[in-house]
Amino acid sequence: MSDGELDFDADELAMLRQLFRDEAKDALETVTTRVLAGGSAKPTPDALTEMMRVTHTLKGAAGTVGLNTMVDLSHRLESALASFGREPSPWTPATADLLVEVTDALRAYLDVATEPTGDAVADTIRDRIDQIARPNRRPMSLPPPFVEPPPEPVIEPALDGAPVPETKAWLRVEPERIDELMSSAGELLFDRTRIERRVQLLRTLARDLARTRQNLHDALDTPDVPSRAALGEAESELAGQAALLSQTTAALLDEIEALRRTIGELQKSLTRIRMGPARDLMTHAARTLRALRRATGARVELRTIGEETEFDKAVAEQLVDPITQLLRNAVAHGVEPPEERAAKGKPATATVTIRARQDGNLLVLEVSDDGRGIDTAALRERLVSTGQWSAARAELANDPEILDALLGSGVSVRDDADELAGRGIGIGLVRQTVSRLGGEVKVSSMPGRGTTFSLRLPLSTALAQAMLFKVGGQVYAIPNVHVIDTTLVDALATTASVRHEQLPVLRLDALLGHSSAADRRPGVVVSFAGKSLVCTVDKIIGPREIIIKPLGPLLAPLTLYAGATISGSGKIQLILDPAQLVRRAYPDAPDAAISDAGSAPMVLAGRALVIDDSRAIREAMTSMLGREGWIVDVAEDGARALQMTRQLRYDLIVTDLEMPELGGFDLIVHLRKDERFKTTPIVIITSRANPEHRRRARDLGVLALVAKPITRRKLLEALATR
Amino acid sequence: MAELRNVIVFTIGGVRYAVELRWVREVVSLGFVTAVPTAPTALGGVCNLHGTILPVLDVAAVLGQAPGPPARQGDGALVLETEGVVCALRVDQVDHVASLHESGGAIVDAGGRPLTLLDPGMIVRRALEMITTVGTAEPQA
Repeated sequence: MSDGELDFDADELAMLRQLFRDEAKDALETVTTRVLAGGSAKPTPDALTEMMRVTHTLKGAAGTVGLNTMVDLSHRLESALASFGREPSPWTPATADLLVEVTDALRAYLDVATEPTGDAVADTIRDRIDQIARPNRRPMSLPPPFVEPPPEPVIEPALDGAPVPETKAWLRVEPERIDELMSSAGELLFDRTRIERRVQLLRTLARDLARTRQNLHDALDTPDVPSRAALGEAESELAGQAALLSQTTAALLDEIEALRRTIGELQKSLTRIRMGPARDLMTHAARTLRALRRATGARVELRTIGEETEFDKAVAEQLVDPITQLLRNAVAHGVEPPEERAAKGKPATATVTIRARQDGNLLVLEVSDDGRGIDTAALRERLVSTGQWSAARAELANDPEILDALLGSGVSVRDDADELAGRGIGIGLVRQTVSRLGGEVKVSSMPGRGTTFSLRLPLSTALAQAMLFKVGGQVYAIPNVHVIDTTLVDALATTASVRHEQLPVLRLDALLGHSSAADRRPGVVVSFAGKSLVCTVDKIIGPREIIIKPLGPLLAPLTLYAGATISGSGKIQLILDPAQLVRRAYPDAPDAAISDAGSAPMVLAGRALVIDDSRAIREAMTSMLGREGWIVDVAEDGARALQMTRQLRYDLIVTDLEMPELGGFDLIVHLRKDERFKTTPIVIITSRANPEHRRRARDLGVLALVAKPITRRKLLEALATR
Repeated sequence: MAELRNVIVFTIGGVRYAVELRWVREVVSLGFVTAVPTAPTALGGVCNLHGTILPVLDVAAVLGQAPGPPARQGDGALVLETEGVVCALRVDQVDHVASLHESGGAIVDAGGRPLTLLDPGMIVRRALEMITTVGTAEPQA
C-alpha cells in the first residue's frame, strides 16, 4: 500500500510509524523473552498463547500504519506459533534459537521497513519463518545472521544493554531528562560533602568546648580564688567558640536548604521522566475522528488546543479509550447533520475541540462539540421510562444532576442511538476509567450550543495527593481532588454547616461496619460532580502523597473502593470512591433538604471568553469562572478573541484593556457591531480605571469594570449585576 | 479419573482439600491483612503481595459453608492464579504434594483417605459472583 492511500499526512504517518516501531519492538521482545524462558523446550500453552496474542496485535497495528509486508510477516509468525500448539508439533530443539533469531531480525527489519533494502530483508525473514513451521525442509546448519544490526537508537539510552528479565511496559525517556537526573544526583553528592565538612567542624568545636570547660573547672577547683587571668582566658575562648558555633549552624542551615532544593529538583526531574506532551493522544484522536468521518459521512472538524501540555505517559495510554468513546459520542449524538446546522445558522461543518491544560496539580482534558447540546428534558424522561430513576427523583433533580446520570449508567441521549456510540454505555466507562486514575468527569451542555465533557486528572498516576484518615482502626484514603475541607461534626447530626451550606453527613463508621461513640467527630468534606457531603471519621491523619494501585478483577465489583495504596510499612489502605460516597449521601428518596443542596456549585452558567495578555491571569480567571460553572475559552489578545467569536457564541466576555494587536475597547466596539454580541454581558478587568474609561465602558454597555487584582468576590459581584 | 499427579494437599478447619499444583503460584505466610468492609465473608481481606493487592479468600464461605476464622498476619496461604485472577486461599496447614485416585466414587490420596479436590476456576467464579452481588447492590439510604 502506498502512503497516499492512508488517511494521514506525512508528519503524522512518520510519528505513527515511530510509535508502531516502539510498540512492535516491545511485542517482539515479549516473544523473545518467552522463548528464552523455556530454554530449548517447547513453550507452555500459556506462553504460546501470549506470544500469539502479541503477534496478533502486531499484525493489526502494522496494517493501521500501512506496513503491509510487516502484516504478512506477523501473520506468518503467528501461524508458526499456532502450529507448535498442535499435534504433531513441528517444534524441535533448534526451534527456540531460530525463533529468537527471527524476532531479532524482525526488530532490525522494523528500522529499514520503508527503505529500499527492506524488501530483501523481508524475503529472508519470510523464508526463515516458513522453515520454522516446517522444520523437515530446512537445512540443519544455521547460515550467518542475515541482517546488519541497526544503528544504536538515539532515543533510548537507558534501555539498551540492561538485562531485561521479563518484558513489561517500557517507559521511553528523552535523553535530556536523564541528564537532568544525573546533574541533580551530582549536586546531591556536593551537598553531602559540604554538610559532612560542617559536621566535622562541629565535632572539633565540641572537643574545644569540653577542653575550655575543663580549664574552667580546674581554675575553680583550686583552693584560692581563681585568677582573673585564668578566667579571662576561658571567657575569651568561650566567646570565640560561641561565634564559631553560630557561624557553623548558620552555614549548615544554608546547606540543608540547598540540599532540600536539590532534592526538590530531583523529584521534579523524576516526575518529568514520566511525562510527555498531549500531542500523541491528540494525534490518536485525529485518527479516530477520521475513521468516524469515513464510517458515518459526518462533517466534523477536530480542533486541538494545548498539545504541548505535559502529562503522565501512563495516564495518556489509559485515556485513549475514553477519548475515543467521547469522540464517537460527539459524532453520533452531539453534532447535527449539515442541513439542520445550516437551518440554525451554524457552520455546516461541526467542530469537536479537544483541549488539554494544566490546572494546578490537575490535568484537564476537555472534549467539546458545537452540536445540539443534551436535551435534559428527554434525558429525564428516559431515566424514568427505563426504570433507572423514580419519577420523584427525576422531578427533584436539577440539570447538572440529570447530565451527571449520563455518566453513571447506560442511558443514551437520543432514542435512536446507533451502534456507533454504544448506546451511552461507553460514557459510563469513561467515568470508570477516569475514576480509576483518581480523577473525575463532568459534563456540561447548553441546548443548541454544544456539550463539553471535562476530564480532570491528577498530573501523574504514580503519585496522587490523598486525604488519609482512620475509621475503625484502619486507614482509608480519598483523592485530594475531591476533598475540599475538614470540619467537626456532632455525633448525631445528619447535616452539618460548611461554608454557609447545609451538607448531608455520611457516617463512615457505620458504612464501614465499626460504630464509634465519640461526641464530636472530625469530618472530611467531599465534593464530587457538584455534590458535597461530610464524612465523619475517627481521626484525620492528613494529606499524603500516595501511589494508587488497582484492586484487580476480583475486587473491581466493590464499587465503594476506587483502588488501594500501600503504606510505608507495607499495609494496604483502601481508597474510597467519592462518587459512591455522594450516591450514599444523596439516596433516591425525595428529600427537600437534599435537593436544596444541589443549588451549590456546578450549575452550568454558559460559555465565557477571557481575554488577557497575561497567561497567569487567564489561568486564574479560567479556574475562578470554571468553579462557577462556566465553560471558559481564553485568548491572549483582542485579535485572537475576535477570531474566536466568529466561530462561537459566548455568554460572557471578560477582557483586559491594554493588549497587543487589538485592545479591549476596540474589541468591544467590534463585538457590539455583531448581532450575536449586541447585548452579551462584558466585564472589563483592568489595572487602570479612570473616569474616561468608565464613561466609554458605560457607553458600550459594559456590565462592570473590575480593578486588578481580581478576586473571586469582586468577580462574583460584577457577575451578580447581570 | 485414573490418577491425578501433582496436587497439593492442605487443611482448613479440619477439612482436607487438594488443588492441582499447576494453579498454585506460591505458598506464602500472609502479611498484614486489611479488612474490606461491605465485602462478603468469602473475601477475608486484602494483603500486600510483592507490591500488588492480593485478595484473600475464605474457602468454606466461598463453598457456602460456615466461614472459617478471619485471615490474620502470619497465616499460611496458597496463592492461586487462574482465569486472569491472582488470589490467595487462607489455609491452616499445607500437608504435602501427592497423587490422587478415585476409589468407590470418592477422591482419595495415596493412603486411601478421602479429600475434596477444589477447582480454582470455580472458586474464583463463585467468589466473583458473591462480590459482584454485594458490591453493585444499591446503597442503603
